[in-house]
Amino acid sequence: MSTISCNEFSNQLESWMDGVRQPAAEAHVRSCASCQNVLSDLEAIHSSARSWEVDEVIEPPARIWASLRLQLEAEGLIHDPASLSHPSTAIPLAGNQSHGALEHQVGWLDRIFAGVARPALAGSYLVALVAVGVAMSGLGSQRGTDDRWTNFTQSTTVPLRSQLDNVEHAVFSFNAADPAVTASLHKNLAIVDNYIVLCEKSVNEEPGNEVARDYLYSAYQQKADLLAQMTENGDGR
Amino acid sequence: MPESEAIRLAQSGDAAAFERLYQLHNRRVYSLCLRMVGNTAEAEDLTQEAFLQLFRKVATFRGESAFSTWLHRLAVNVVLMKLRKKSGMETSLEQITEPDEDSGGPRRDFGSPDLRLSGSIDRVNLQRAVDQLPPGYKSVFVLHDVQGYEHNEIAHIMGCSIGNSKSQLHKARMRLRELLHEAIRSKAREERKAAGSSSGGED
Repeated sequence: MSTISCNEFSNQLESWMDGVRQPAAEAHVRSCASCQNVLSDLEAIHSSARSWEVDEVIEPPARIWASLRLQLEAEGLIHDPASLSHPSTAIPLAGNQSHGALEHQVGWLDRIFAGVARPALAGSYLVALVAVGVAMSGLGSQRGTDDRWTNFTQSTTVPLRSQLDNVEHAVFSFNAADPAVTASLHKNLAIVDNYIVLCEKSVNEEPGNEVARDYLYSAYQQKADLLAQMTENGDGR
Repeated sequence: MPESEAIRLAQSGDAAAFERLYQLHNRRVYSLCLRMVGNTAEAEDLTQEAFLQLFRKVATFRGESAFSTWLHRLAVNVVLMKLRKKSGMETSLEQITEPDEDSGGPRRDFGSPDLRLSGSIDRVNLQRAVDQLPPGYKSVFVLHDVQGYEHNEIAHIMGCSIGNSKSQLHKARMRLRELLHEAIRSKAREERKAAGSSSGGED
């Protein structure tokens, strides 16, 4: 059987990989180690790529939908009767926020806490935290400068901590009558507060580090969870 | 809720329908973005942008093509736009898929008969190699070899001919072969160097 050269085979390689195989090309491959190597490599690349997708299920983070939904609501593209009375519908998308918008959001936090009844306190606070978390993660992907991050961290976390402190004082006033409960709360909150201090230190040292900001947000979330739990326990007495 | 029903409801602004469509397709879109940019933060931004564009236009969807194809076309365009901005170039699809035309495309280097890639490709070095591909090659490779799309679907997504899709895929694989061989040779050199300095230190 007539065969072909390596160069001629290379010209047919694309159609070969597509399943079109001429007898002369097949004869060449049988007798050419170099071209066998090329085919082996291309098949290895193809099978590795395929198993890459099949073996590794990639779950996108939930914050993408949270942020997307806020944007859709802000643009008036979706209508959800349940959310119309919800304060979060007024929040602009984090990724596009300026400092003014952040201040607006902090003001929105204040409005949430103004006049809320004690049973609603914890739940409202968690909603606020979710909004701030979206802000932090959204801005995190904007690749801002360190200065911008320093300003952002101050403008967002300082009022957030202030709000947490207010909730903490309220929780302690609910439980002040029981010294054992108060001591236990102090102990647990001290652990979380230490964690927050460490995370804030990391963020201040590396304002652009998204992982550090994620940890800080997680620390605030832990404190809010703890306060929420305490509030619920206080209500249950 | 089936996809067709979700599309119909989303066209009238139903929030649950939007979420359903997002849940149905988010993994594949995120995976596409992640393979294309190799970076989770950027992949998250791009996924959000692709869905945002989709939902802004969902009222105009008339079902001429599959919804997933339409969404992937949007996602690929969003990613390519991002990659163009990153490279600081305003280039056409042809330009970003044909970077080596002056030299006749990928080199036809059939050498190194003793070195085979089989068994030595892991996810890390494959992603590194994919990251180095020109955007057009990368798109077709990720869509075809990673995500399993057919050339006719890719042609629709990329807005090119089926032949062009096949050609780009072949060039992408050949370029990946070169990159992976370079990576293996580089690793072998480093190992030899480390072994040499280690044995030198013992003397």
